[in-house]
Amino acid sequence: MKMTAYSLRRILWESYPVLILCAVMSLGAGLILQSQLESIKTLPLILVMVPPINGINNNVCSILGARLTSALHIGTIEPKFGKQVALRRNIQATWLMSLGVFVFTSVVFFALALVSGINPVQSVAIMVAFFLASMAAIGATMFCTVWLAFVSFSRGLDPDNVVIPIITSIGDIVGVTCLIIAMKIIGV
Amino acid sequence: MPQSVNVRAIVIQGLSILIICAIIEILAGDVLGRMGEKLTVTLPGLILIIPPLLDLRGNVNGALASRLGTALHTGILEPKFSMSDELKINVASSLILSLIASATIGVIASLISLLFGISAINFITLIIVAVAAGFISGVILAVLTVAVSIFSYIRGWDPDNITAPLMATLGDLITMVSIFIVVLVV
Repeated sequence: MKMTAYSLRRILWESYPVLILCAVMSLGAGLILQSQLESIKTLPLILVMVPPINGINNNVCSILGARLTSALHIGTIEPKFGKQVALRRNIQATWLMSLGVFVFTSVVFFALALVSGINPVQSVAIMVAFFLASMAAIGATMFCTVWLAFVSFSRGLDPDNVVIPIITSIGDIVGVTCLIIAMKIIGV
Repeated sequence: MPQSVNVRAIVIQGLSILIICAIIEILAGDVLGRMGEKLTVTLPGLILIIPPLLDLRGNVNGALASRLGTALHTGILEPKFSMSDELKINVASSLILSLIASATIGVIASLISLLFGISAINFITLIIVAVAAGFISGVILAVLTVAVSIFSYIRGWDPDNITAPLMATLGDLITMVSIFIVVLVV
């Protein structure tokens, strides 16, 4: 038999447990949505917001996670919180990126709300709620990303296989929770 | 070496790809919004499987993309569109994982909805939707991931900053459309 660099069995065996663990966490996000079906019926725009807040949150934190794990391997960042220029700059860059992309997305939702016939005052409220929810979600998920990257690196786990899948699932729960709380606060 | 982290460069590179991703995600959200009636009235419990299915697709294809990226960089895989054994194993494992994990999500979601007493749920339908949507989007995305990985390697793009976020986002849109189509048929 010809040798190949990859083993089907190994890929399946290593990936399946992580995937299912993550799926169960993401099901938590699904449960939160299911429990809020009444609010969703009154404002279907909440559903439209779910993929963007989760997807962007996951993208931003995956990029941060990938950058941190590379930096940990090279040694430019040490696995501890506290004053580190490289860590601070990475977090700064991630904040600025999130700010930019969520300002853009919030404005799009303002326009979508107007187009779907919601009055301007409430459309502004929806835009502000989405923006606050996304900023809260990104803050919480970024903190989890840094912490998980440090923990998995210190324990000798490959952060590439662990950090990103787990972070995207945590991000789903955090994103949906922040979205629902923000919508409750503005009274939708 | 604090100089190695250039905040401005990261933000400019990252933002441009993230804005594109945001637009694609809003489209995915629009597809979900159009399913409002199905989610709230016809198929209660369906919304349970949407975050995990989107997440699963991102994880499976993200892992595929990162394995392909490594294989291309180390020379295990040649940047050509021909079916080598390495490519076959990578694609096959992603498809098998997609199928088994989608089915598992369908089963767990059915159990959870039973446990939480979510009314009028049709277990078989939930599992069929998860598996069928998982399979359709799995095939489309595996092909796309291979194409994008090889194309971006030839172009010299960094897979960490560009390919992975783009694939995760496209994955959300294609998975949402697949779920939408399957729900229409079922």
